[in-house]
Amino acid sequence: MKKIINDPENFEREMLEGICAAYGDKVGLLEDDPKVLVSKYPVRDGKVGIVTLGGSGHLPVFLGYVGQGMLDACAVGNVFASPSAKVMTDAIRYADHGNGVLCLYGNYGGDKLNTAMAREEADFDDIETAEVIVADDICSSPVETKENRRGVAGMVYAFKIAGASADNGDDLQTVAANAEKALANIRTMGAALTPCIVPRAGEPGFTIGDDEIEIGMGIHGEPGIEVRKMITADELAETLFAPINAELQLGEGDECSVMINGLGATPLEEQFILYRKIAQLIEGCGASIVMPHVGEFATSMEMAGVSLTIFKLDAQLKELLLQDANTPFYTTANK
Amino acid sequence: MLDSATLKAKFNAIAQIMADNCDYLVELDRQNGDGDLGFSMKSGFGDTAAALEASDETDLGRLFLLASRTFNESAPSSLGTILSIGMMGTAKALKGSQTATAEEASAGLKAGLQAIMDRTGSSLGEKTILDSLAPGIEALASGDLAAAAEAAANGSEATKQMLAKHGRAAYYGEKSLGILDGGSVVGRLIFEAIAK
Repeated sequence: MKKIINDPENFEREMLEGICAAYGDKVGLLEDDPKVLVSKYPVRDGKVGIVTLGGSGHLPVFLGYVGQGMLDACAVGNVFASPSAKVMTDAIRYADHGNGVLCLYGNYGGDKLNTAMAREEADFDDIETAEVIVADDICSSPVETKENRRGVAGMVYAFKIAGASADNGDDLQTVAANAEKALANIRTMGAALTPCIVPRAGEPGFTIGDDEIEIGMGIHGEPGIEVRKMITADELAETLFAPINAELQLGEGDECSVMINGLGATPLEEQFILYRKIAQLIEGCGASIVMPHVGEFATSMEMAGVSLTIFKLDAQLKELLLQDANTPFYTTANK
Repeated sequence: MLDSATLKAKFNAIAQIMADNCDYLVELDRQNGDGDLGFSMKSGFGDTAAALEASDETDLGRLFLLASRTFNESAPSSLGTILSIGMMGTAKALKGSQTATAEEASAGLKAGLQAIMDRTGSSLGEKTILDSLAPGIEALASGDLAAAAEAAANGSEATKQMLAKHGRAAYYGEKSLGILDGGSVVGRLIFEAIAK
């Protein structure tokens, strides 16, 4: 293992300390629960709160979206592990401005169980909560059982839409409904070239052959649907686009946003080579692209690879997408 | 007869066996999980045993409640949270008891098992920790700890023939056949430690 770390036991704490040292004017940790990262951006009175939770090892997911126009707080777990119910409860308490809190997070066992327990505790404190679970990875379960799919990069769009809706003063049910509506139109598919290493484990938990690419691998190295000999960028674009579009059915006049997401060790140059072909394929359907996202949005430490997310828009979703958002890790200003 | 002193001793023994088997559990978990099983069980049972040791509480239910909270804080992974939910179920069942007979302890643990099944929607035969815990808890009612350990070990071994339906292992489908479930090994180790 070659990583720029100190003691692996301190990986998460030292990462959070670094983030606060860099961006302490914009985000901070709760004094009595240093596993909750909260926004310091100004908030309108009574705004519906939005929180997420998840393991470390995916920056900017999850905590990188705490800020203006996205999340109010994030419960941070160890690498690839859910935070505890207590940490999530503390995040919910912080995010409540009197009108309830939306728990918006990825479809993983530990995160679901801990959120369920945290919501029960919040209920004791008379904090109203709602829950929307992100399940956008089309390779992790067929369309008939799409509720079993994992949540991956598409959650960034869900944070964006829910955050914009909450900023507009929508109530909890409306914010949740808008997040659901966005997710119904968001699909992601990824491919990995190399594995990643959990710091405490010290070595990769799985392998991918030197000349191979694993289609559909998850962001924790969950097995994909197919291991292939390495293919070209254009072939990969077609491989990722076809199954997504089979579900989204982009057609003449449709608008969508596209996210090319690097998994950690894939250069931006390669991401843009992929984007080039994706843009051609979308144009070929007669559809157009709004606010493309190219870069690292949901990573898997040093894993090489990419994911493609397509978000099919209507007028309302487009407006919410374009609305301002700013966090230390994300801004609409450059897109 | 279970009382607070015995409970603390049993948790210490479990913490020890999880620490001794940390690398083995990591290795097992890598076959169809993400490899954090050994670390989360070592830290979860280690911190829980320490918290119980430091407590003057003698009510078994309240001790299990403390165990549940400490365990979840220390090991909030899927399996850690499942165990924490189980301890909470047991806590409710044993609340108000300073001691418990083998039969009562078994019934209390069964309530924990039920809490896990209710919360996760899982049942026996789905290649999980339940497949070793359930037979172990059942056998515990007789007071024969060695028999309980053997029942849990047999239950764990049987997961090799089961198809995974939950969590990350489920993505492996048919490929999970022949592989021992890591969670069920945790259940086996718990009963092995209790029997010592």
